[in-house]
Amino acid sequence: MILVLNNKIDRSSFELLSKARKLADKASMKLAFLLMSNSKKDVQQLARFGPDMIVLAVHEKFNRFSLDPFLSTAKKIFAKYSPSIVLAPATTFGRTLMPALAASFRTGLTADCTELDVDEKGNLLQTRPAIGGNVMATIVTPTHRPQMATVRPGVFEIVEHRKDDVQFIEERIEDLSDRCQLISVEPKQAGARLEDAKIIVSVGKGLRKKENVEVAFKLASLVKGAVGASRAVVDARWLSHDHQVGLSGKTVKPRIYIAAGISGAVQHLAGMQTSEIIVAINKDRYAPIFKVADIGIVADAYWVLSELVQRLGRENDESGG
Amino acid sequence: MVDELIRLLGVENVKFDPEELEKYSHDETSGVEAQIPLAVVFPTSTEQVSMILRWANERRVPIVPRGAGTGLSAGAVPTKDSIVVSLERMNRIVEFDEENMTITVEPGVITGEIQKIAEEHGLFYAGDPASSESSSIGGNVAENAGGVKVIKYGPTSFHVLGLEVVLPTGEIVTFGGKTLKNVTGYDLVRLFVGSEGTLGIVTKIILRLVPKSKCTAVLLVPFRDIEDALLCVPKVLSQSGVLPASIEFMDKASSEMASRFLNESIPNPEAECHLIFELESTSKQSLTREYIELGEKLMQMKALEVYIADSRTQRMKIWRFRKAIAEGIIAFRPTHCMEDVVVPTANMPKLVVSAYDIARRFDLEVLNFGHVGDGNVHVTFLKPDGMSDDVWKRSLEKALEELYKITVQLEGNLTGEHGVGLKRKKYLSMFLQEKELALMRSIKRLFDPNNILNPGKIFPD
Amino acid sequence: MNFLVLVKQVPDTEKVKIDPISGTMVREGLDVTMNPLDSHALELAVSLKEKLNGSVTVLSMGPMNTIDVLRDAIALGADRAILLSDSALAGSDTWATSLALAKAIEKLNIAFDLMICGEKSTDGETGQVGIELATLLDLPVVSYVSELIDLTENFVVVKRSVEDAHEVWKAPLPACLCVLKSVAEPRLPTLAGKKTAMDAKIEIYDTESIGINREEVGLKGSPTRVVKVFNTKIARNCRIYADKDILEGIERVVGLIKAVRDGEVG
Repeated sequence: MILVLNNKIDRSSFELLSKARKLADKASMKLAFLLMSNSKKDVQQLARFGPDMIVLAVHEKFNRFSLDPFLSTAKKIFAKYSPSIVLAPATTFGRTLMPALAASFRTGLTADCTELDVDEKGNLLQTRPAIGGNVMATIVTPTHRPQMATVRPGVFEIVEHRKDDVQFIEERIEDLSDRCQLISVEPKQAGARLEDAKIIVSVGKGLRKKENVEVAFKLASLVKGAVGASRAVVDARWLSHDHQVGLSGKTVKPRIYIAAGISGAVQHLAGMQTSEIIVAINKDRYAPIFKVADIGIVADAYWVLSELVQRLGRENDESGG
Repeated sequence: MVDELIRLLGVENVKFDPEELEKYSHDETSGVEAQIPLAVVFPTSTEQVSMILRWANERRVPIVPRGAGTGLSAGAVPTKDSIVVSLERMNRIVEFDEENMTITVEPGVITGEIQKIAEEHGLFYAGDPASSESSSIGGNVAENAGGVKVIKYGPTSFHVLGLEVVLPTGEIVTFGGKTLKNVTGYDLVRLFVGSEGTLGIVTKIILRLVPKSKCTAVLLVPFRDIEDALLCVPKVLSQSGVLPASIEFMDKASSEMASRFLNESIPNPEAECHLIFELESTSKQSLTREYIELGEKLMQMKALEVYIADSRTQRMKIWRFRKAIAEGIIAFRPTHCMEDVVVPTANMPKLVVSAYDIARRFDLEVLNFGHVGDGNVHVTFLKPDGMSDDVWKRSLEKALEELYKITVQLEGNLTGEHGVGLKRKKYLSMFLQEKELALMRSIKRLFDPNNILNPGKIFPD
Repeated sequence: MNFLVLVKQVPDTEKVKIDPISGTMVREGLDVTMNPLDSHALELAVSLKEKLNGSVTVLSMGPMNTIDVLRDAIALGADRAILLSDSALAGSDTWATSLALAKAIEKLNIAFDLMICGEKSTDGETGQVGIELATLLDLPVVSYVSELIDLTENFVVVKRSVEDAHEVWKAPLPACLCVLKSVAEPRLPTLAGKKTAMDAKIEIYDTESIGINREEVGLKGSPTRVVKVFNTKIARNCRIYADKDILEGIERVVGLIKAVRDGEVG
């Protein structure tokens, strides 16, 4: 059995299910989704992406993630279903719960996979960027079960796969002790999240100074997009780490990725190269970013962004008036 | 005229749209008026450069050569009705000769690119200015750029072995070659390096590479008293038996500017100034011995603390502060005047103390930072908030005059690494004798009889 | 209050070189340094120790040149440095590494109130060892800690940064924190620190001295195997707009943006 694990129903759940369906078909395995959440809302949506079974572990304590209750519950469910492959999104949830599960079951775990495949014997081929994103490594877990992997959100395509006979199973949850105690929650400021944005305007040191980053926010708000950043920009504290795209930041896959003043270090490319359309703006005609771009503009990045703001802004005024 | 250029070079190599010309009307020098050229041409070969100059010489059209436009003396700012020759498309690496440790490049190559290629082979291009990420090697040669490693390795001229040059008449000549020494006649290579694009246009450059040092440590040393800090520089140089690759200085106002730009605080922010030392060695053991010895000496010379960075992350943390000063000035205080005076190392304390005194007398703000190991300080006057432009201009003029007078008294010079250009030409006669200036004028006439190449630069009107 | 900080050595380089034939990293001639994210964990521990008294122990597993990294930790304020080094440990994956570290902590009886780990290493980038180790030691864990709010004899209060929110959690001691960069800005080592580090004793243990079977760790004891390493090929056909075409390029981008924003394209 392939088990996909998440604490919410979101894009990453659908991406993982879509991919896992293909793996399950190839290896003739059953596919189950384990939802550990405080609500059953929208659970029907999961059925559209091909699970044979949806296992629900619903409890009000699953409102916010904490390791103790999630770990003890997941362990019980693992013991009951003995999955051969377990997949979870590489979010703060997956990247905390999965290592704890791997340690508990004395098995291997591969972090941040960007490609998955399965052979006839049911071995999961887990591929991830290695050595600072310079190469890809394929990793297997030959003798231990379950085989576990976290997967970068935004990497896999969402494919609908309707089944008529999806089975819903509700697990009983008991003794949810937690050594840690949640004191308060403060939501992060809204605005399109990088991971969900259709258009990302990403800025690099080519914008020359911190003040110039403002133009990227203007453009992003005009196009209902989000602002990303290169590592150099985050290191210089022009923007917070939340904006960082790349190996040590976020992997994004928007419809349009605009790399403004970013030269394109491999670490950055690793986080954005699967974007649908990549627009690179750089003064240096030989910047590596042009090698992965569809459209390249050789010019000052600040100037080009200002031009885009002007043209798109004008158009907004017209349609508004 | 533009039509002729297009016929000569092809339409893709000529720009004449006023909007696009704007970028070529200035460099990074603050306070110098921009001047839109008639056109910008982008030659891609030596032959094209030759064609342009021959044409210009016949038509008596002023030509202004230009690299990446990062200059700090307005040397690439166009004269009226001139044609800018941008060398940015001549950016090929012609040859990397690992065995002879040389690299031959075209002038439009970004200096950092040369550094990268050298480092991939365990070598180092030592003429590494602070702007190496953005400046071009052609510009470095034209200005004889310095940087933070001059005390150990010397400025750009120390690393140029040979040149291919197009003279204002269009003739193509080569000077020097790949040999490290050469006294076959006058040293015309040295004459061209630092000639600010007034004698010819450099089209190929043979550079010397050196082995890259294995281990590096950077020391950040705060002092309570600026004079204490500056006094210990000549002592370290003459008595410690170690030649640091860099000794840099930043006063409190400079490090505050850097901190604001980086949004990060410097260790011991209360200190009146910080010195930065970079040491290079062949092994970790010898490096450790050297930085401990140097560190102890500095503590005896009234350092408040000695911070030692020997990992890349830590080293970068220190250098980030030093390099952010200029960026901070440009970002937060665009109306400023960055100077480049240079004095014998031991006279540094007097120069810096005078700079504060001058600023006080003329109600200007000032920050001092720079390459104290070689006596080169970037005294930077800032326009105080609320001061009118007129008052600023008048006060600045007086302040500069005072600064230069003291520099002369201290046996110093007008500019160490940024060049004369337009910005400083009226002060040249304070520093050069009449005969010296006359000889320079004769040399200029000899190479450029019709005065078409970068006219109006260096020489006082 | 006693702190245990896990540190890892990573190559001190920005640009890794890849051997074109084997596809592995060229480590020859590369210095090692403390994983930058671990230095934030160490700084948090040292600054807390300076406030609350107690001690900071650093623990690492790696080849013998890790000694240099542990000396750096001492220079930065750690009191005790322990290295687990043995040829049998080479090739350990995150599970085998966690197992060896857990055994070392138990066998050497390392006492601590708070174990602090960096979020992940800059070379492996798995971010798993801290959590796996804490699970083996049965410690409560808070991951993605962005700020330490309070630390008393019995509990720690921290801010945790997740995708949609900042949360505040309280955990009983002993506990494990996996921290982000923002918890503390690492200091620079001082001359005095460097001198202390030169003479400091680094405790070194092998598999035998911590009572672990050589078969349980290293390549043999690791559940995962790397079966293939290959280069990524990234190539798109870039249409370059330069010089006189720049405005045309901008117009094309405007068109694309409008289409996507207004949902006209697929």
